[in-house]
Amino acid sequence: MSKLYDVIIIGAGPAGLGVARALQHAGVKDVLLIERESQPGGVPKHCRHPTFGMLTFLRPMKGHTWAEKLLTYVQYPIRTATTVTSLLPDGQIEVSSDAGLETLRARKIVLATGVRETPRHPRLVSGVRPQGVLTAGALQQFVYLRGLKPGDHPVIIGTELVSFSAIWTLKSAGVRAVAMIEEGPRPTAWRLCLLFARLLNVPVHCNSRISRINGSERVESIEILSKGEHKTLPCDSVIFTGKFTGEYTLIRKSHLASDFGTGRPLFDQNGACSDPGYYAVGNMTHPADMGDQCYQEGLRIGGRIAAALPSGSIAPEFISVQHDDIIRISAPSIVRLMDTDNKTTFNIRVQRPVTGYVVVRDGSKELYRRRYRCMPERRILLKDVDMSNVTAQSALHISIES
Amino acid sequence: MEQKTHDFDVIVIGGGVVGCAVFRRFTLMGARTLLLEKGEDILSGASKANSAILHTGFDAPPGSLELACMQAGYAEYKAIHQKMNLPLLETGAIVVAWNDEQLAALPEIVSQAHQNGVSDVRQVSAEEIYQREPHLAAGVMGGVIVPGEGIIDPWSSPLAYLTQGVKHGGEYRFNCAVTGAQFNDGQWTLSTSADSYQAALVINCAGNHGDEIDALWRIPEFEIRPRKGQFLVFDKPASTQINAIILPVPTARSKGVLLSKTIFGNLLLGPTAEEQTCRDRADVNEEMLKSLIAQGQRMLPSLADYSVTATYAGLRPATEQKEYRIFPYPEEQWITVGGIRSTGLTAALGIASHLETLYLQRFAALFTLAPVKNPHWPKMPMLSDYEPRDYTCPGNGGVVCHCEWVTRRELEAAFDSDVPPGCIGGLRRRTRVMMGRCNGFFCSNHVAEIVGDRFNNTLITGQIK
Repeated sequence: MSKLYDVIIIGAGPAGLGVARALQHAGVKDVLLIERESQPGGVPKHCRHPTFGMLTFLRPMKGHTWAEKLLTYVQYPIRTATTVTSLLPDGQIEVSSDAGLETLRARKIVLATGVRETPRHPRLVSGVRPQGVLTAGALQQFVYLRGLKPGDHPVIIGTELVSFSAIWTLKSAGVRAVAMIEEGPRPTAWRLCLLFARLLNVPVHCNSRISRINGSERVESIEILSKGEHKTLPCDSVIFTGKFTGEYTLIRKSHLASDFGTGRPLFDQNGACSDPGYYAVGNMTHPADMGDQCYQEGLRIGGRIAAALPSGSIAPEFISVQHDDIIRISAPSIVRLMDTDNKTTFNIRVQRPVTGYVVVRDGSKELYRRRYRCMPERRILLKDVDMSNVTAQSALHISIES
Repeated sequence: MEQKTHDFDVIVIGGGVVGCAVFRRFTLMGARTLLLEKGEDILSGASKANSAILHTGFDAPPGSLELACMQAGYAEYKAIHQKMNLPLLETGAIVVAWNDEQLAALPEIVSQAHQNGVSDVRQVSAEEIYQREPHLAAGVMGGVIVPGEGIIDPWSSPLAYLTQGVKHGGEYRFNCAVTGAQFNDGQWTLSTSADSYQAALVINCAGNHGDEIDALWRIPEFEIRPRKGQFLVFDKPASTQINAIILPVPTARSKGVLLSKTIFGNLLLGPTAEEQTCRDRADVNEEMLKSLIAQGQRMLPSLADYSVTATYAGLRPATEQKEYRIFPYPEEQWITVGGIRSTGLTAALGIASHLETLYLQRFAALFTLAPVKNPHWPKMPMLSDYEPRDYTCPGNGGVVCHCEWVTRRELEAAFDSDVPPGCIGGLRRRTRVMMGRCNGFFCSNHVAEIVGDRFNNTLITGQIK
């Protein structure tokens, strides 16, 4: 039988490193981090834009610098170039590396596997399959890890924060984007970003959607439907950005319960999954927040895991959190009944822009009400909702009312 | 540029699954054989995209050449696949009737299957179907079970056929489109986009371009009318939602939309059947894909809970007739293999044997027969999700593609193989790299590094200065 770790953390990105630091602070001894890439640090390691560090270090930092700094705090071993291939009951996981397949064991296993963008195919975009179709995440790795250009005349699909970071990445490769394409009437990211695009001479087409990819060996153009009109944009690459999603396949193939439609695991206010030997944390539970926010969340969940280690078992009973259809996800997705300190912060996402009161109810009893201007792909935090009177018979529901 | 001329006994035009199987057969007969492929790699045309099913022939026209080739191909695949490390997942299939009209058509399907010699086919009740397929939507009226249908790797199989031929002295050329054909003194001279080649016998397996190749020297006896099929591949966990291949009751026009596991562990939905004139461009269409998803969800409601990994379209070389269009021209030392539609993956080995018989019976001796007594059986890399793969073995160099668990050793082995890939698509089909749900987000930069400048058309346009 292999060694029994106290905690194994899958993913050495912001959330995983946050959990590790909190466990270290609490004096937990045997912890192992597992990272599939050859270097730890997660997605920020591929980023050179200065949108990291404000929460943790109170100053803007570039992604890779920020990740390097977080790594200096972690003294636990990190096994890199190691891929988890299955999650099993009783705290066992199978991993693959150059050594082949191994089984590892821990009292608690933390899933901090992060997110990626939704690429071309699941978006069902019409057209052919030439070279030159990628995501902003792939672009960052080409440019920053390899010094390679995946295109000279790219079009960027989407206007999330990551879409504007793609302009930044392209600029450092000496490439100007041909255009940005946004389905909605305004950019998904802050309006200020438009100014950034304008400064770099990248036209932003709102109320427009990509309707076809043309090319033979490589992309030659895309067609867009812009305000009811068909247009052709010559380009040699298409960068699909945002619409973040987690990697849920391992979880879907495991014994862990998951959420219909989104694929996320069920997890409670402390991150514990349906099998309380497993925890979920970071962007995979709420695609996608900023790296700093995930690190802070990792610190918080790490503290809860450290507190749960001595007591061993967690009550398996939980109630699920229901919500209106306009709400895409709620994190947590379930609530476990606790004796003490039962204030829960919900992190929700909406399907489309809406302004109104976000209300949390237990049956007819109102637990929370606050007015928000909700935008898609932005986090909406419902802070410290009091759960102390929630029982196994409760029906928790989040709605948005005008 | 001066063209060189090379001499062979047999030239096979087209590196699709049929061309590869025919190439194998003639090299095993002892012929000095050359395969010419106009694409950058084998499987660049119709064989690139299909449903990857090994068919029993239960629903093929009784007495047809198609049926004979399918059943011979099916038997030969089963006999040789283990020797070449090629997978087979014996799922069986169920033809599902969703209304009274379809229910009424089932006895005829069973009787046709029996007439075709597929004797284990039987009609079953809705209850039995729900026992086998608990996730199917409500409304199943009954069905027909076809135990012998299975799923194979549509790319490793033809590659194995080609590789075995190469091991026995056969040669192949990629990027080599045939542009002219001259027959003089019992010898064909084929001019191509590269050199020219001579042979005593030419076998046209040019798929969607088959009639164009015949037109180089005669009026073709058939006309290719490409039929496009669009497919969706769902993420691997979706494959747990079915056990057998779920087939609709066919109509006169089409076999309809099916659900199937793939050998790579995914779930497949499709195809559409759309006539088009273009022979090379197979594009997907958002509305059609959405309509396919809606059809899939009507059969399998839980499909709504799974994400799409890939969309693709294939062009089947249909003709004005359903039957295969195989024409031997003994006087002219030429054989045309045309109109091999979606059943070609199953039938390829059978077609190859049929051509051997045709040649031996109908043609004068054009080369010295020297049948290989102890064939070399190349072992293909195992890509099936249902078999142990390289990532489970030590010394694999680490996982490069985390969706499909492709190792660095597998990628390097593809380049060191007897038939190394000629393009990114060829590398994908040989290894599964970049085929997963992230569409290459993580591994494409590793692939660009490993590929280097080996391909003309790569993932990158240049280095950052």
